[in-house]
Amino acid sequence: MNISIRRIQAIFMKDYKEFSRNYAVSFVVLIPIFLAIVYGKSGSNSIQTYFLPINMTFSMVTAYIQACLIAEEKERNTLRSLMMSPASITDILLGKSVLVFVITAVLLAVSMFLVGYTPENIPVLVMGLVVSTVFYIAMGIICGLFTKSVMEASLAILPVMIIFSFAPLAIVLGETHIVYKIVQWLPGSQLILLAEEINKQASTMSLLTPIAVMSIWSVVAIFISVVLFKKRTKDE
Amino acid sequence: MSKIIDVQNLQMKFGKEEALKDVSFTVEKGEIFGFLGPSGSGKTTTIKILTAQLTHSSGKASVFQQNAADMNQMENKQKIGILTDNSGLYGRLSIEENLLLYCNLYELPKSAMDEALQFVNLQNERKKKVNNLSKGMTQRVILARTIMHKPKLLFLDEPTSALDPVNTKHIYKGLRKLNELGTTIFLTTHDMSEAETLCDRVAFLHKGEIREIGDPAMLKKKYSDHSFTVELTDGEKHVLLNGQEDAQRLFNWMSTQQVERINTNEPSLGDIFVQLTGSDL
Ligand SMILES: Nc1ncnc2c1ncn2[C@@H]1O[C@H](COP(=O)(O)OP(=O)(O)OP(=O)(O)O)[C@@H](O)[C@H]1O
Ligand SMILES: [Mg+2]
Repeated sequence: MNISIRRIQAIFMKDYKEFSRNYAVSFVVLIPIFLAIVYGKSGSNSIQTYFLPINMTFSMVTAYIQACLIAEEKERNTLRSLMMSPASITDILLGKSVLVFVITAVLLAVSMFLVGYTPENIPVLVMGLVVSTVFYIAMGIICGLFTKSVMEASLAILPVMIIFSFAPLAIVLGETHIVYKIVQWLPGSQLILLAEEINKQASTMSLLTPIAVMSIWSVVAIFISVVLFKKRTKDE
Repeated sequence: MSKIIDVQNLQMKFGKEEALKDVSFTVEKGEIFGFLGPSGSGKTTTIKILTAQLTHSSGKASVFQQNAADMNQMENKQKIGILTDNSGLYGRLSIEENLLLYCNLYELPKSAMDEALQFVNLQNERKKKVNNLSKGMTQRVILARTIMHKPKLLFLDEPTSALDPVNTKHIYKGLRKLNELGTTIFLTTHDMSEAETLCDRVAFLHKGEIREIGDPAMLKKKYSDHSFTVELTDGEKHVLLNGQEDAQRLFNWMSTQQVERINTNEPSLGDIFVQLTGSDL
């Protein structure tokens, strides 16, 4: 593996400058904040409500912005030049993920504060959130690499949003419902499960299971994004 | 001299369509090599194969004595510079910010950026946002980015197609200087005069085949009919050939001071291309 901090930093700085001047995309960071304010005012205090703005952040900000960042490089014909530069795949993928990672972290912290969520075991929850963030970033990269333009990426990300972010809501169907039995294994559901276990002050073992499941999702998503990225270094 | 690029019996198929049929040529170290051909003849395809952006169907393509497919490896990427229609810029960033990214990707000092800006004559425009640039200026910024790391081998796919004559001249001067400093240049163009002023050797590509290859002066000699045109003071023009008879005519005109000017009827590269392929560029 070939990693250069200078290159990663350069790509990050470039993305930051571009992103801060792209109002069309950057305004979406306000949506989860807005939601968090509304939920915070409503005064409800179930894990489910706490996690609505959190999952919203993952789908509408993390995955969506990441997909746009990659798709725009393709649309503008800048991705191939990046690939032909001495930056390695790791440099480019890391460099292009740092911005969204930072934005996600800030938004999660702000929305948790706004809804008044104070988890018992912060380190474990943070671990879960980090693993989730990595998963949604990888999903965004995959979407961005599959599409040719920002417009297409915005459409392609919709199923990701629906499946991965809103699926946990299937719990309203009841824990025995077949749909819930399936979607409970999705990373979004596992994150809520983790939060509930933390709340119950469960054993370390029962905290590890959801983290392990989420990690498997992340690793698979990273693997797919790297394979896809390698394919894009060539025509066809 | 050593071969920097060696292509033998290269073939490229896109489905049923043969973009390159049987292409063979070499480029020596230190050369400016012109790859000439009309639209769709396979110029960009060749560059993409040589820079590992496309996998060819059959034949041999090597660069720096390695398989062209290895040009995507780190050591090789440092040695080559590529300008094609796939080379884009970041529109919301300034010229300088665009170059700064690549300055860091190639781990160069900031002075490399200033040199590159000077190369394309854009020192005073460096703060301008790329979205607001003209087509020619955009092309110059891409060129600056391509040469910033002083590559050993430079691939330029129609580098001056959007430039005005003044900037074209400036770029030519820069390219020659780079070449003198040791950069080998592989350049595609459909501008025959560009090839004539710049290239040490040219290849004519037509429908995926090389029809002729050689140094421009030699080619002009080879395809010349060795005639001269004599223009007399009264405006009349006569075409003369080497030989006793025409020598006498010329002698007579000259002794009576009737000759206004004498031109050799050398064909231009464009003429040769038409002669070879029957089609214009
Ligand atoms: N990815 C591709 N898929 C299918 N056909 C292709 C592809 N790339 C190129 N071709 C075909 O290969 C032929 C050669 O194209 P190429 O782009 O190499 O031409 P060119 O000489 O660069 O032309 P121009 O001067 O217009 O840039 C064309 O007929 C083109 O349609
Ligand atoms: Mg072309």
